Amino acid sequence: MTQLPIAFLDGVSACLRSAGTSMSGFHVYLMIFAIALPLIMALALAVSGKLPERMVKACAAIGFLVPGLSSLWLGAVYLASATDGGYMFTVLADLGLSSRFGIYLHLGLNGIALPFYMLAGLVGMAAGFYAIQSGVERLRLFLILLLVMQGGLMGVFSSVDVLFFYFFHEFALIPTFVMIAIWGRTGRKAVALEVTIYLTLGAMITLAGLIALYVFTGATEFSMTGMRAALWGSGFPHQGTLFGLLLIGFGILVSLFPFHTWAPRAYATAPAPVAMLHAGVLKKFGLYGLIQIAYPLLPQGAMEWGPLLLWLALGNLLVIGFVTMAQRDLKLMLGSASVMHMGYAFLGLYAYSTVGIGAAIMMLVAHGLSVALLFLLADVVEKRGGTADMSELGGMGTRTPVLMGLFAAAMMASVGLPGFANFWGELGIFVSLYASPTPWVLYLALLGIIISAVYGLRAVAKVFFGEAKGEIPDGDIKASEKWPALLLLAALFLIGLWPRLISDPVNEGVLQTFPDRAPVITAPAGEISLTE
Amino acid sequence: MSIGLEDYLFVSILLFAIGFLGVLLRKNTLIVFMCLELMLSASILALIAFSRYNSTAANPLMEGNVFVLFIIAIAACEVAVGLAIIVALWRRIQTVELGEIKELKH
Amino acid sequence: MDLGTVLSMILLAPLLAAGLIWMFARQRAVLAMTLSLAAAATILGLSLWLYFQLWDGTAYEVSMEWMRLGPLQLSVGFLLNDLSALMLFVVGFVGFWIHLFSVGYMNDDPARGRFFGGLSIFMFSMLGIVLADNLFMMFIFWELVGFSSYMLIGHYITTDEAAQASKKAFIVNRVGDFGFLIGIIMVYWTFGTVSLGGLQELAHHSPDSVTTAMGLLLFCGVLGKSAQMPLHVWLPDAMAGPTPISALIHAATMVAAGVYFLGRTFFLFTGEALHIISWVGVVTALCAAIWAFGQRDIKKILAYSTLSQLGYMVAGFGMGSLYGLHHGDGHGAALYYGIGASMFHLTTHAFFKALLFLGSGSVIHACHHEQDIFEMGGLYKKMPLTTLTFAAGVIAIAGVPFIGAAFFSKDAILYVAKMTNFPAFLILTGTALLTALYMGRLFVIAFLGKPNSKSAEHAHESPWTIVLPLVVLAVCSVAGGYAGLYPERLGVLVQNWVPLAHGSDHTLMLVISAVASVVGLGLAGLVYGFGSKTDRVEDKAPPVYAFAKSKFYFDEIYNAYVAKVQDRLADFVSFLDTLFISGLLVKGTAAVAGLFGIGARRVHTGSVAAYVWWFFFGLLLFGAFAGGFLDGILQK
Repeated sequence: MTQLPIAFLDGVSACLRSAGTSMSGFHVYLMIFAIALPLIMALALAVSGKLPERMVKACAAIGFLVPGLSSLWLGAVYLASATDGGYMFTVLADLGLSSRFGIYLHLGLNGIALPFYMLAGLVGMAAGFYAIQSGVERLRLFLILLLVMQGGLMGVFSSVDVLFFYFFHEFALIPTFVMIAIWGRTGRKAVALEVTIYLTLGAMITLAGLIALYVFTGATEFSMTGMRAALWGSGFPHQGTLFGLLLIGFGILVSLFPFHTWAPRAYATAPAPVAMLHAGVLKKFGLYGLIQIAYPLLPQGAMEWGPLLLWLALGNLLVIGFVTMAQRDLKLMLGSASVMHMGYAFLGLYAYSTVGIGAAIMMLVAHGLSVALLFLLADVVEKRGGTADMSELGGMGTRTPVLMGLFAAAMMASVGLPGFANFWGELGIFVSLYASPTPWVLYLALLGIIISAVYGLRAVAKVFFGEAKGEIPDGDIKASEKWPALLLLAALFLIGLWPRLISDPVNEGVLQTFPDRAPVITAPAGEISLTE
Repeated sequence: MSIGLEDYLFVSILLFAIGFLGVLLRKNTLIVFMCLELMLSASILALIAFSRYNSTAANPLMEGNVFVLFIIAIAACEVAVGLAIIVALWRRIQTVELGEIKELKH
Repeated sequence: MDLGTVLSMILLAPLLAAGLIWMFARQRAVLAMTLSLAAAATILGLSLWLYFQLWDGTAYEVSMEWMRLGPLQLSVGFLLNDLSALMLFVVGFVGFWIHLFSVGYMNDDPARGRFFGGLSIFMFSMLGIVLADNLFMMFIFWELVGFSSYMLIGHYITTDEAAQASKKAFIVNRVGDFGFLIGIIMVYWTFGTVSLGGLQELAHHSPDSVTTAMGLLLFCGVLGKSAQMPLHVWLPDAMAGPTPISALIHAATMVAAGVYFLGRTFFLFTGEALHIISWVGVVTALCAAIWAFGQRDIKKILAYSTLSQLGYMVAGFGMGSLYGLHHGDGHGAALYYGIGASMFHLTTHAFFKALLFLGSGSVIHACHHEQDIFEMGGLYKKMPLTTLTFAAGVIAIAGVPFIGAAFFSKDAILYVAKMTNFPAFLILTGTALLTALYMGRLFVIAFLGKPNSKSAEHAHESPWTIVLPLVVLAVCSVAGGYAGLYPERLGVLVQNWVPLAHGSDHTLMLVISAVASVVGLGLAGLVYGFGSKTDRVEDKAPPVYAFAKSKFYFDEIYNAYVAKVQDRLADFVSFLDTLFISGLLVKGTAAVAGLFGIGARRVHTGSVAAYVWWFFFGLLLFGAFAGGFLDGILQK
């Protein structure tokens, strides 16, 4: 009886595999198209004159749908093909900068990039559709900026060339500043100013680090593969400084403690689709960069900075965990919670093993989905309840049962309940910590599961339980708001039930990138060295 | 007693110093202007002196003199523009004391 | 059909029901009830088929890799042996009757769809724990059971108690899971595997790898799930949920999962660990029994009773295993005595505690949601069947010889206590007396005498969907003590591995049980009086009553901790974060940059003369540079 689904899946994957080999030309164009289409749509919307609202919405919808669906398609083809975590769908285009700077338009997906790419597509679809029906003022401008963001995000995770990696990141980052300033909640001007300066600083430090790295490796191509190839086996001096630059630069962008203060206020003040895309996808840029660039190329530097990273990550987890518990505003709480979860990911990186890094990637993808979902639902809660202050909300459960169910599910996912995607990543990180140089960190890290349960359940209880307070004008969550949420929830569920979707490419990708980092188990029967 | 190059240069430097100190220390814009012209005159004098004393019978140096003609012409233009600005300033704030002209400050 | 498929069907049937309910039957109560009940029936039916036809009794293990990250391999699989067979039966059997009961009991509830969906999710999670073949899988379902419990305790979402109780249950469980997960990870890195079969072998080959710390950390999970002290505080509050939930989750199955886990991983506990475990169980049993005397709510009394009996089970495991260590070959099969003792009591307890809770549900339903026993009274006339079955339950829990199931199971525990730890034996015997006393108190006040309130007067017998499960469970409560009655496949544990007293000890145990139960019940009648309106102990001996009611201030201490320590710490840290990091570091840096700006602005005085001075100084600087005076500084 279990044979039937297995046979079905085998058939599907055989189809996808043959598609992968035969349609490789199409896939190359698809990669470029996924980045270009949102940008083209944004341009079209910007230059065209008066357009009826439906046209605007339709154009934007296409702009979000195409990258989303193509990311899922490419992901399916990749999963079905036997790549051992290597690169697929490579695009290599010379734009005239190659001779002097070694910069090509080099796109490609490997085992580590693929889950992030799919995350960008999925969350982009959800955020885009939520934005389209959100009815904000100046919808057209909003959608244009959001489309630019989406194009940038697709480019970030499919770039192999480092300069384009950074370039697309800026593409995705800068619209957020504008969107917070125009469509944000109260206090948006100050927050936009702070976020702009802070994140630009982080980006500049990152750029300095990346360029310095390029110069030191002496590679001919300013790309991840090029630098790895130039470096294979040999090290070079100044790894500590370089890694420090990259860690701090990426760290600012990822809200590493103590560079985290911009994050909660930015996410709380930003409009929901912006928060979804930023907290859900854009933040992962920093950790993705560390995993793909800094850690493989700078192992000595990583070891040197390990102890400091340990304390900073614990700061994220415990200090910000307590800060989150003290929050009264729902969106501020979610923003702080997102900062806290980055602590888990950094601890996974700190463990510096295949388990740790692989689990960190899984956790980041899951976190992206769950935090985007939570911000979406928190926005719906705020719209229905009139406020985001949890002490004033209450008793919404009887009037908005569907919203309550979705919110509780999203919160459970965020807390790390098995059955949702976050569990696998967090479990892997915990397992890897015991084998790290400092096993005691596991005891502190696990406190995080208690802390997250406390604030998560408190939020659900405050908002939804209790006697109903006042009227809810618009009723329960609408269909147009529900479908983006269900999309994200379905993804969380699917990965939660079947983690191999993400863990297989990640596992192979990480083993390829870090072949000597599998930890050793000393079993009583002798040493079982489980490297593959 | 023959007058050498050093004597002309000495006068030139003296004139330049007087002009420079005047620019630094005088408060009336017109006086500052006149001191600016004084500095220009000083440089003119020095140039002509160099031209006169460094040319030999076989190789007369005309560069200094030509330079001086340029300076005179440009000085005239500059004075015209500057005086126009001062007149406009007078029409605006009825004074040409440097101490009163402070609008471009922090 | 092979065993693996059947087990998968057993596991997935309730999940399927829950999925269908979520998709189609959220508002359609009848459809939801049917789906859930069908799933429960499927589970029971397939399990019975398994025992009587399909399974030959040998241990069956199958597993499939589910995720791999480097050397970490997580798999799902089933392990069917005598222990899981018994537990599967308990869960399936009791679960089915409680499903049936819920159909009648929840008939006026507007959120039935959500309730039955949650019930099915719970069955799925619980079966996952029962059938799991490795520790990570068990942990997954452990968490899922915690979630189902959260969802179901919080069923009445409009009440504040439900919100607080469900939160408390989940968080206290998480505190236990904290130690639990550390223990599992420690086991993984020490042995290289978490598969139960593999661990048993490895632990057998190298007993030194098993450390006390490992065992105690794993026991943390049991502390949380089975509500042992000091993590017991969530169980009484969990009574805020509907009564069928209290019966199923918080009496019969979920809380017993901790004891089941001990049985599954018995080889990971050293002698010291077992000693500590035993004492935790004994202390819990005693304290909970004392606290039961201070309660007026019928469900709360039963909740403390559950706590007490769970203490018995845990103590039985600990001391039974120690007994096996000393009387057997040290490791291996003799340790099964601990499993036998605790599982036997778990089984009988599941029967009579579910019966008692369902009976209380019948009473609450009939008295229109009155839960205070002093407002009841005289129910024996209005609800004869309920009274009779409830009496069977009371007799069972008190351990009346031969007709109460707990007589046999508690006996075994008392016997191993006597053989390994005499002080514990004395305490447990005293607790047995207390058990009979407080259960007797409950029975005589609520059921006997005259009605004390309008709702008690208007009580009437409940419909068949409520009464039938009571009757079935009452029969089991009487018959469940007779190990010989268990079918062959189920009864392996209870027939072979329950430590029975021999010879003079046998008579001693009999006498002790008889005295404790009969004297306890009789004393209850005398002291409290039939159908009293007030608690006589409260009236005549207030300090005693206050002592019992205080619950030793655990709840107050925890609440104070949360309000005074944790929340204040959170606010303080948040304040520091805003002050130092956001304020000093970030805004401070901005201020420093601003200072530079202010400094630079001062140059623009607007005075032409000043600008000319600056020009002069710049000229000097350039001249010096050109003339080579600054070479020393610049080190060209």
